[in-house]
Amino acid sequence: MIPALDISTSALVAQRIRLDTVSSNLANLTSMERDEKGNMQPYQARYVIFQTDDALETKQGAVGVKVASVQTEQVEPLYRWQPAHPYAIKDGPKKGYVAYPRVNMTAEMVDALVATRAYEANIGAMELSKNMAQQSLRILG
Amino acid sequence: MTPITSLPLTPPVAPSLGIQPQGAAGGGQPFKNILLEALNQVNSMQSEANEAVQQLVTGGDVNPAEVLTTLQKADISFRMMLQIRNKLVAAYQEVNNIRI
Repeated sequence: MIPALDISTSALVAQRIRLDTVSSNLANLTSMERDEKGNMQPYQARYVIFQTDDALETKQGAVGVKVASVQTEQVEPLYRWQPAHPYAIKDGPKKGYVAYPRVNMTAEMVDALVATRAYEANIGAMELSKNMAQQSLRILG
Repeated sequence: MTPITSLPLTPPVAPSLGIQPQGAAGGGQPFKNILLEALNQVNSMQSEANEAVQQLVTGGDVNPAEVLTTLQKADISFRMMLQIRNKLVAAYQEVNNIRI
């Protein structure tokens, strides 16, 4: 019973982190970020990679989940004609354009929905484990 | 057609608790240790749950789902220990009621 609760909790934590990344993507729909060279680049959407958590493995092979890493997408930015913008591109074929993030809002909302439903499903599984534990107390009367 | 062979059924292996009565006088020493160990475990789970709730309430960096799970685990283990205690007390009283 107790390992089942631990495994479900790891799933709750993982789905929470996934929802955090979706919130971050939705909050930064039109923002810039500083990359490692110090230039201002358009925000790239983040996404999480889940992986089985071997630290939570039971003897029969049931494993928990953990967030392996938070990856950044690499997509082409959207360009808008704003020659007076401080971050407008100075030269080249895209002179006068400003690069904006290309975050697919629909995909992010669906991701958020999936994360919420997965959260609820794991809470349901925890409920079942809890019921099982309480029922097994009836053995002792 | 291969004949049906009877499957070798292994009897369910009871978890050996290592209970061995050591003579007539001290016939309960290992069992007492087992009980104490179980009590310590339940106690540690309760204190873990306490700490986690304190951290959550004072705004610490702890996930609410984990706190609630710790609470639930402490609750389950405490209820099980309570039932075992009831059974032990009932057995003791039955032994007491044996008329000589």
